[in-house]
Amino acid sequence: MALLEVRHLTKRWPTGRMALDDVSFEVQQGEILGLLGHNGAGKSTIMGITLGMVRPDTGEVRIGGRSVQKDRGGALQQIGAIYEAAVFYDYLSGWQNLRVLCSLSGWWDEAEVKRVVQMVNLSRAIHQKTATYSHGMRQRLALAQALLPQPKILLLDEPTDGLDPEGIREFRELILHLRQHQGMTIMLNSHLLGEIEQMCDRCVIIKDGKKVFAGPVPSQEKTRRIFQLETSDIGLAREVLDRAGATMDKHGIVEVPLNMEPHDLVAALVHGNVQVSAWQPHRRTLEELYMGLSSKS
Amino acid sequence: MILFFQQWYGELLKLFARRRTYIGFGAFVALEIVILLLIKKFGMGPIQKAIVGSGESFEYYFSALTVASTVMGFSVFLLGALFLSLVAGDIVAKEGEDGHMRLLLARPVSRFRLLLLKYLTCTGYAFFLIQFLAWTSFLLGLVLRGWGGGYFAIVPEVSVVAFYDWGPGLQRYACSSLALGLSMTTVSSIAFFLSCFRIKPAAATIGALTYILVDFILRNSGFMDSYQHFLVTKHMANWGRILAETIDWPLVWRGYAVVFGVNLTLFTLGYAVFESRDLKS
Repeated sequence: MALLEVRHLTKRWPTGRMALDDVSFEVQQGEILGLLGHNGAGKSTIMGITLGMVRPDTGEVRIGGRSVQKDRGGALQQIGAIYEAAVFYDYLSGWQNLRVLCSLSGWWDEAEVKRVVQMVNLSRAIHQKTATYSHGMRQRLALAQALLPQPKILLLDEPTDGLDPEGIREFRELILHLRQHQGMTIMLNSHLLGEIEQMCDRCVIIKDGKKVFAGPVPSQEKTRRIFQLETSDIGLAREVLDRAGATMDKHGIVEVPLNMEPHDLVAALVHGNVQVSAWQPHRRTLEELYMGLSSKS
Repeated sequence: MILFFQQWYGELLKLFARRRTYIGFGAFVALEIVILLLIKKFGMGPIQKAIVGSGESFEYYFSALTVASTVMGFSVFLLGALFLSLVAGDIVAKEGEDGHMRLLLARPVSRFRLLLLKYLTCTGYAFFLIQFLAWTSFLLGLVLRGWGGGYFAIVPEVSVVAFYDWGPGLQRYACSSLALGLSMTTVSSIAFFLSCFRIKPAAATIGALTYILVDFILRNSGFMDSYQHFLVTKHMANWGRILAETIDWPLVWRGYAVVFGVNLTLFTLGYAVFESRDLKS
């Protein structure tokens, strides 16, 4: 079931620049979806529209069947978010910040707040002013506020930006813990390929406001079979593979169709007089996919 | 309703947790002390002339209330608009600039409610600050002149000159400070309205101060005599009518109807501006 539906979003800024051009995708219940793109691609604009802070020219976002554009209050009851850099009130403590924010959701349950604070490992510092927090602590507090009060879906906009490697790892483990133990649905916005690859099930790639890819994160792919062919005659190999119904790129990466066995393709290559020096399974990385899409467009 | 007050508590918590808020209070007390010291050193020349000129005893009317009224008048004139504009100019623009607004509006709260909370906070602050000013002035007056005596009230802007004994004078002083508090909410409303635009907080503060100053100068320039009803400071000055021996209630109500109308219009326009904005860095 789709918990979040992004439908035909179009947005042009007053400067005339196209921010989004007919972008549609869905986030299924329980999955982690990565929104990937270069800086300025339109990822944060999608987040902003999802939170009702940016108005689309056309299209809408539905959360749990409720339109953000028509019933923002109802739709946002189901969501927790870190949108752009979370800026807290430095002169308040972490606890007071959470109190102010939760009051805007019409909710306060001290026991639940304590549980979440403990989960993000801020129990000892929660009554200190946030001015004394490190960047990592602020991000953990940002995650805590997003988790209160118990959202169905989390929107995370560049959540590991500025964190040190330890902080990134800690944050990643927290997110995966949330999915594993609470079945949390998460939409993660990032320009870090590694982050998306390690955390997400599926990804949507946005380039210059357009959706250029939506599908499983390559490292998570279970259905596609990709092999690396090494041969001295790449032109002949391509002809043979084309006839057999398979495709190969210029680097010798072969995608085997679902109705075919890999060894049949090797047999076809040998019968076609192609000198096969190596044929091995290839795990395509997200970077290859992303760079491939970038060079195409 | 309880939820609304919980949310308002959050806004007040933010306002009163800031050191800057108390700097305002501290600056007022410091200014009041300076004015009091000047009164002690140089006396109350023009006030003394007005009292004696009216055939009354200066010794009797040179009381804590008369001193408090003078100290409060000068303090509001010199610093009131500045501090109210500073707080109200910050209340939306600063939160937008710093990024707090994105954190707040990621919650299921409408922009209208959020702005209403902020508006009530800054106008409430204006009202509270004026009351603080009135009663610290009174306390300082007590230190200088002690309890008792008369009260000489003079508000030239609305042609009010009145003499009271201590009890009725204290009542009039209290009522007029409440009315002045209401009048000063218009300064906050102007700064709040400007703060709803995508501008720097300082620009909202300076914009509001400029408007009030220009309005005040025009009102006193003589060129605008036929158009005074268009000037907001004229209607704000109605607080002074509370000090008249016979209060002209229709004029007071009319003045405050205009003040509330202006406040409501500024809030509505500010909301319309804010509602139409895309909140993104």
